[in-house]
Amino acid sequence: MKTLEYITLPWDVLGLGALWLILMAFFVALPCSQMGSFLILRRMALTGDAISHSVFPGVVIAFFITRDLASPWLIVGAGLAGLASTVIIELIHKWTRVKQDAATGISFTALFALGVVLMELLLGKNVDLDLECVLHGRLGLLLEEDRVLLFGSLVPIPVLVMAGVAVFTMLLLGLFYRVMMLSSFDADLAASYGYRPAVIHYGMMFVVSFIVVAAFQAVGAILVIALLILPGAAAYLCTYRLKVMLAIAALHSLISAVGGLYLHVWFNSNMAASVVVCGGILFLLAWLLGPVDGVVWKWFKDEPPALEESSDNAGNS
Amino acid sequence: MFEDVSVLASVLDILIPGNGSGKAIMAAVLLGASCGLLGCFVVLRRVALMGDAVSHAVLPGVVAGLIYSAERSPGVIFLFAAAAGLLGAGLVRLMMFSTRLKSDAALGIVLATFFAFGIMWQSRNQQDTVGVMNFLFGNIGSIDASDLRMMLVTTLILVVTMFFLRRPLLMMSFDEGFSRGLGYPVKILDGVFYFLLTFSVVVALQAVGVVLVSAMLITPAAAAYLLTDRFERMLLLSVVFGVTSGITGGLVSAEVNGLPTGPVIALSATMLFVIIYLLAPRHGVLSKVMRTFRRRMRVRRENMLKAIYQIHEGEGFAHEEVSVMMLARKRGQTEEKVNKDCRALLSRGFIEMAEDGVSLHLSRLGWKRAMEIVRNHRLWELYLTNEADYAEDHVHEDAEKIEHILEPGIVRQLEQHLDFPELDPHGKPIPQPAHLVAQPSAALS
Amino acid sequence: MKPANKIALETHDLTVTYHKRPVLYGIDVAIPSGSLVGIVGPNGAGKSTFIKSVMGVVPSSGGWVKVFGKPMRENLPRVGYVPQRESVDWDFPVTVMDVALMGTYGGLGLLRRPGKAEKRRASEALEKVGMLPYSNRQIGNLSGGQQQRVFLARALAQDSDLYLMDEPFVGVDAATESAIVTLLREMRERGKTVLVVHHDLQSAGEYFDHLLLLNMRLVAFGAVKDVYTPELLQKTYGGRLTILSEVADQAAKL
Repeated sequence: MKTLEYITLPWDVLGLGALWLILMAFFVALPCSQMGSFLILRRMALTGDAISHSVFPGVVIAFFITRDLASPWLIVGAGLAGLASTVIIELIHKWTRVKQDAATGISFTALFALGVVLMELLLGKNVDLDLECVLHGRLGLLLEEDRVLLFGSLVPIPVLVMAGVAVFTMLLLGLFYRVMMLSSFDADLAASYGYRPAVIHYGMMFVVSFIVVAAFQAVGAILVIALLILPGAAAYLCTYRLKVMLAIAALHSLISAVGGLYLHVWFNSNMAASVVVCGGILFLLAWLLGPVDGVVWKWFKDEPPALEESSDNAGNS
Repeated sequence: MFEDVSVLASVLDILIPGNGSGKAIMAAVLLGASCGLLGCFVVLRRVALMGDAVSHAVLPGVVAGLIYSAERSPGVIFLFAAAAGLLGAGLVRLMMFSTRLKSDAALGIVLATFFAFGIMWQSRNQQDTVGVMNFLFGNIGSIDASDLRMMLVTTLILVVTMFFLRRPLLMMSFDEGFSRGLGYPVKILDGVFYFLLTFSVVVALQAVGVVLVSAMLITPAAAAYLLTDRFERMLLLSVVFGVTSGITGGLVSAEVNGLPTGPVIALSATMLFVIIYLLAPRHGVLSKVMRTFRRRMRVRRENMLKAIYQIHEGEGFAHEEVSVMMLARKRGQTEEKVNKDCRALLSRGFIEMAEDGVSLHLSRLGWKRAMEIVRNHRLWELYLTNEADYAEDHVHEDAEKIEHILEPGIVRQLEQHLDFPELDPHGKPIPQPAHLVAQPSAALS
Repeated sequence: MKPANKIALETHDLTVTYHKRPVLYGIDVAIPSGSLVGIVGPNGAGKSTFIKSVMGVVPSSGGWVKVFGKPMRENLPRVGYVPQRESVDWDFPVTVMDVALMGTYGGLGLLRRPGKAEKRRASEALEKVGMLPYSNRQIGNLSGGQQQRVFLARALAQDSDLYLMDEPFVGVDAATESAIVTLLREMRERGKTVLVVHHDLQSAGEYFDHLLLLNMRLVAFGAVKDVYTPELLQKTYGGRLTILSEVADQAAKL
């Protein structure tokens, strides 16, 4: 194929469907990228992973009852499961000498295992929600979903739902930007202004759970963490300013969506995984060439790679 | 050299059971051993989430192994999986070293991108990678003799390495700075640790699957952690729990058709953990609750004794007996409640009831304990007021709590420190239980 | 800016327990407004805890706190807090100006965005500490002394009446140290009340006009000339309260 054909391939193969896929991937990735940026700044990146695993049994039970993947009950179920996981983690590490990282691991693996078992037992060989869906979501099946007529074209319903989620999250972020920034940077000062850390923390967890459930259906339980972390991490390496970081993260999700579609079409590979791999490639570029923290520039400037080695004792030796 | 290895391998063949359930049991034993042993370090070093990242990172290796080895040779798969895991671990460290990213972000990035890459690659080669589900969610029934041989060799390497390096590894987990000071090659040991971690992941792969293998690295070891304070015992218990979960999970999932074994094994491990969480003798939650309850009951009893003493003191030790009604008034409680508490004191020999049933007096044991409590209270008040410049209106509440927990050693220190005082800050005499003789009133003058 | 009340900060029986271990025992103190107070005591004496519990950052298990006669909650805007430098994430993507602006957030509530007035306050505060030229620098790119000044600027921008500062002199160069002292004195001239957790006993006598001697409980509070005496210092630092800490440890093990 000639080069030009490579570029137009998605449109040739899928027509307008290519646009829906890109939009869907973007609407899922955008809110994840914004909330995920704050998770990174608060060193809670893996909490997103834990949440995405923990909400699974709630989703299964809700789906079992409603038989409808678009039902709002799924969010309720997920929220309850997420709450249960937080309670379990606290019960373990506050009441025994098992530390938080192990408590988190015990909780989310148990809940996730429970979800898989429930899924197999209750749902059997269900096409809508099965092991494949857990692994990589249904993003690739978007074009087979029901559609609705809007502005003269048939828009797949999930795209509209996800657009709503994205808009809602961005509005929340706009409203609470200062609070989130302050409490992530200096929780004590935020507390002294009356922004209570516990309230903000649980509020954030709630919003993340909400987004995770939506993202889960698109990309599966395990890849959600990629959508949460990759954009923010890449942006973190590119700038020192928080607003710019959030903007770059949003851009990252857009490019990943487009790039993911291309990879999907070129290699005939899974759509969700392709979006993530594209995001990974973008991250790699940021790691090497990022204006602020890019390894290549630092190597040329002959500086030590980092001012001091990361001095946290969570998850490393 | 290869002949030696294959001779060794065929020697090991005698260990491998012939029938299906025998194989499943052996798989469970091997996975319990490797994950149980490594899990102890994972829990103690607080790197549980690193275990999760490494286990997800092996997926592309598994896919590569399935594609590039025609006969699905376990050796090839294990090798590629291990390579992917090590690469992932290395990238995490590199990321943390070369940028401002912290550990949680680095782990998440590696976890997700490696896993996504594996999924993407697999989706391209659907035919070659039939059976990848077995590696993702586990299928103990699919483990055959050649798989077992590979698992056995890997586990042996793991166990032997750990045996020889257990002291340095333990020391490093506890206090890395000190280990460095001792001249241990900390970086190399760390690398060895991640090697072992990857190996244990690879051993457990087919039974538990990539997605849930980190459960086996955390939950059995955490359960063991709650049962013992000795490291060797923790290792042993962790292995036992891992094996038990493996066998239970394998058996249960065999009952249900199509249920992957990984989740069931993980749930078995969790249930074991829950049982131990509740029932462990010292660190278990129920035992802690019992201890708190028993302590509260003791404090109630002692407060009752104190009240009886104070009534006597108020009357100048004139009467022998104290009535339940007076006690109820003093304590601000109902008579039924006082009667209930008195029964507890009675059964422990602190008091004796009079014939009329409404009055009681302290036994010798009761006097001793009552005097001790009052002495502790007043000594502590004196200490706080004199030495700690505590404001007078605050001392009483603090003494109410402390009087029950002062041990004899500390009491002696207090007495010496305060120069064997006779009066408390309010002018009340400090009792001397040591001088208690048959006549209680003599000791109180 | 009206120190309407003569007493800037008053605590009664302030007790803080951390993981069941008592850290502060029944602190009663009344700090007159317009004073420059140094809080001194040995390590682990609870100095930072005292400040944090006054701010409400750490919960107290007993007692109360009043700021200018009212409970802390009702008078939050009148209190400025400068945290320990080591508790800050220096990799956070904010500039010097961003941090100074944070001082103005208290009065803005959720919806209003920082406007010209806020920017002016922040700039003036930065100017006062000599950090205005660095407005666009990311905070990780500063020296220890410069970082401390930025946080001081933030406190100044808060325009509060009572300031609580946690070890601001740790790890700063001599020039910054004297600049901070000058700034503190100037704040006192303007009627502010400043409490500073201080780590160095020598300079404590020179820098402050009042001292709060703390070692799990209040040893003494008063003017420097009355309180900076060998007996009281010995009481604070002398470690004669081993019984108290032993019993505290016992209580924690329950």
